[in-house]
Amino acid sequence: MSNTSRATAPEEAPVTGGISRKGLSAGTVGLIGAVVIGISCIAPAYTLTAALGPTVSEVGFQVPAIILVGFIPMLLVAFGYRELNRSMPDSGTSFTWAARAFGPWIGWMAGWGLIAATILVLSNLAGIAVEFLFLLIDQLAGSPGTIAALAFNPFINVFVCLLFMLGATLVSYRDMQTTQKLQYVLVSFQLLVLLVFAITAFVQVSQGNAFDASPVELSWFNPFAVGSVGAVVAGLSLSIFIFWGWDVTLTMNEETKDPEKTPGRAATLTVITIVVLYLLLAISLLSFAGIGEGELGLGNPDIQSNVFFYLSGPILGPLAFLVSLAVLTSSASSLQSTFVSPARTLLAMGHYGALPKQFAQVSPRFFTPGYATIAASIVASAFYAIMRFISEDVLWDTITALGMMICFYYGITAFACVWYFRKQWFDSIRMVFFTLVFPLIGGIILGALFFMTLVDSMNPDYGSGSNIGGVGLVFILGVTVIVLGIVIMIWQAVRSPAFFRGETLSLDAPPSLKRR
Amino acid sequence: MSGAIVVGYTATESGADALALGVRLAESLHMRLHVVIVMPSEGRRSAAVPPERAYEAHIRAQGQEWLRTALESVPHEITRSGHVRFGESFASGLVAAGEEFGARMIVVGAANGSRLGRHRLGSVATELLHSSTIPVALAPSGAAKTTAANVPLSRVTAAIGTREGADVLLEEAVSLAAASGGALRLISLVPFDVPPGLDTGAITLVRNAHGDDVLTQARAALPEGVNAEIERASGESVEDAVAHLPWQPGEVVLVGSSRLAQPRRLFLGSTAAKMLHELPVPMIVVPRTRAHDRSDRGY
Repeated sequence: MSNTSRATAPEEAPVTGGISRKGLSAGTVGLIGAVVIGISCIAPAYTLTAALGPTVSEVGFQVPAIILVGFIPMLLVAFGYRELNRSMPDSGTSFTWAARAFGPWIGWMAGWGLIAATILVLSNLAGIAVEFLFLLIDQLAGSPGTIAALAFNPFINVFVCLLFMLGATLVSYRDMQTTQKLQYVLVSFQLLVLLVFAITAFVQVSQGNAFDASPVELSWFNPFAVGSVGAVVAGLSLSIFIFWGWDVTLTMNEETKDPEKTPGRAATLTVITIVVLYLLLAISLLSFAGIGEGELGLGNPDIQSNVFFYLSGPILGPLAFLVSLAVLTSSASSLQSTFVSPARTLLAMGHYGALPKQFAQVSPRFFTPGYATIAASIVASAFYAIMRFISEDVLWDTITALGMMICFYYGITAFACVWYFRKQWFDSIRMVFFTLVFPLIGGIILGALFFMTLVDSMNPDYGSGSNIGGVGLVFILGVTVIVLGIVIMIWQAVRSPAFFRGETLSLDAPPSLKRR
Repeated sequence: MSGAIVVGYTATESGADALALGVRLAESLHMRLHVVIVMPSEGRRSAAVPPERAYEAHIRAQGQEWLRTALESVPHEITRSGHVRFGESFASGLVAAGEEFGARMIVVGAANGSRLGRHRLGSVATELLHSSTIPVALAPSGAAKTTAANVPLSRVTAAIGTREGADVLLEEAVSLAAASGGALRLISLVPFDVPPGLDTGAITLVRNAHGDDVLTQARAALPEGVNAEIERASGESVEDAVAHLPWQPGEVVLVGSSRLAQPRRLFLGSTAAKMLHELPVPMIVVPRTRAHDRSDRGY
């Protein structure tokens, strides 16, 4: 008797996954919460200091135009994201969606692109955080330059960066709680400081204290004034990066208190805040510093990979430490959300057998993707350490390569949306736009950006000018990442072919809901 | 004895310890066993991390798998069920589950890294001890591996003091002993204030007199027909006294919550905390006032 009862399920459904009476609506996010998450994920202070310089170097004064134009493909692709997330919510996101639409091989590469992009940004984020940590100590200690300069000693830099990484890994692995209140304070502080920074820059310009006062012109908003297509492409792939993370506000559906309205409103509110802030800062810094190659000019390659680092002092004087603090808190608070993304994709890939099973492990103590988190952290740390020694300007090159990887996996995801919904395209006018037109255009733009950036980056002068044997480092980075992905994919396909035969995640296309 | 036992489970060694103790208690006391995993609810942990229901579903499935595996090891005589719950913290989720199931006791394991056979309070146990409305049983590290895991409850020991709440403690101990058929033992470990500089002989004298007094009162308070061994723990300190007391493998110790606790909530007092370090057997911390009916529990 005991044998049979052991084999069959014990009486009265022994395991429930129920939600206790309080739990049902407890975890949902309101409008402000969603906006705060969106802004935390974008981390505007960090993003802009990392991306403004490289963008100026490509498009000159037309940065505001590029910011505005760059938002278009982002928006179009985000619509596709939203449809996919609504139809098949999965923590594998791009990986799962592309595998469902195009099969295991393309799905695998989309997941790889996402992981590579987030690992690149992790290393850049930590690199920026290190520079600002030293700058902040410098500013508070009142020892102009001496401590800040330590950040550029590669050994000190890599060491501190690894400490940062370790801290971020621990926070993510142990799933440390940060209260909503703290997050609200951090985000408000960040926005406020950036606003003060921009306004002060304008004031300095009007008082004649600017480094290279450049009057604001309407042509700054005209993308056609850039001159070369290559420059626009390079600028755009950077501006994709500055909006990256914004799509989470749109894809939070059931997670919000009012799934019908909250995500849309939160996305709108977030993007207006961000665009206004970016434009204000870009214009103020351009008019303060110009695009010349002088000491503080935004065209100066020495300051371009981290412009706030160099400009906050001259603009804000004694209050410059606020900017350092804002960038530091911005990087720190986005580290956790940044870690979550590759870890969850790795987890999903492990779960479906696209990667070894260990990646699917959930920590029994902290309920986080423990193995995947640690793996992502080790790779990001190693990547940063190696890059620091081979690249002339690690921050710059990682940001440019990052823009390329985002175009790669966002592009695949956009096409996955179009193809997955192919039987539902004409169900309604809404479906025509949101599953066909918008993601298709977005995907084509991102795909074009990816290939054009790839071709341009072969030039040794591309980006920071780092090159190996006369080939641009950014190109080598991009190609290495993709080829490495293909190699690991084939290796995994040989070792455990189930996923690659479509046994764990099959092709799918939901049938039309329209009644004939 | 009716009622249920809630085990705060994780798929770790300390979770296995908790489960082993939960099984022992449920078996000896003839109670239902609810094995509960509490997971952090999405959107609650970090306000910077976008919540994802899909991930929540994933870890829920993982939790159910852990529970299924865990429940396989539970003897069939015990009525049991497993539950995955989401809560702000492990402790608050457990208390909520405990109240929902009308639990007589919540069982958790010692923190990782404690000496084998001893207790060490982890963050979960600490939070639970400061917030629970239900008695909390602490399984010492390694409870799942030692042979004592299969021993039925042989004796219930109550560490009696004179403070408010001793009556509830005594009542609980009597009812546990009766339900399990085990013996009852009363011990006194009461710390007290002596003037500094008093010589050791005098301290011992006062201490013994005090201990005897407490135990005499407790014995008098026992219901008719209930027998109890009385033992006075002697030693230089609480730790010393605990170390010198004889302990049986199948024993559990009941201690009262500190007087600092809010009514009907737990708070581990200093004596209990000191005992915990030396205690080789499970400890059960009992609130100092009892919630007799559910209407006054605030829901």
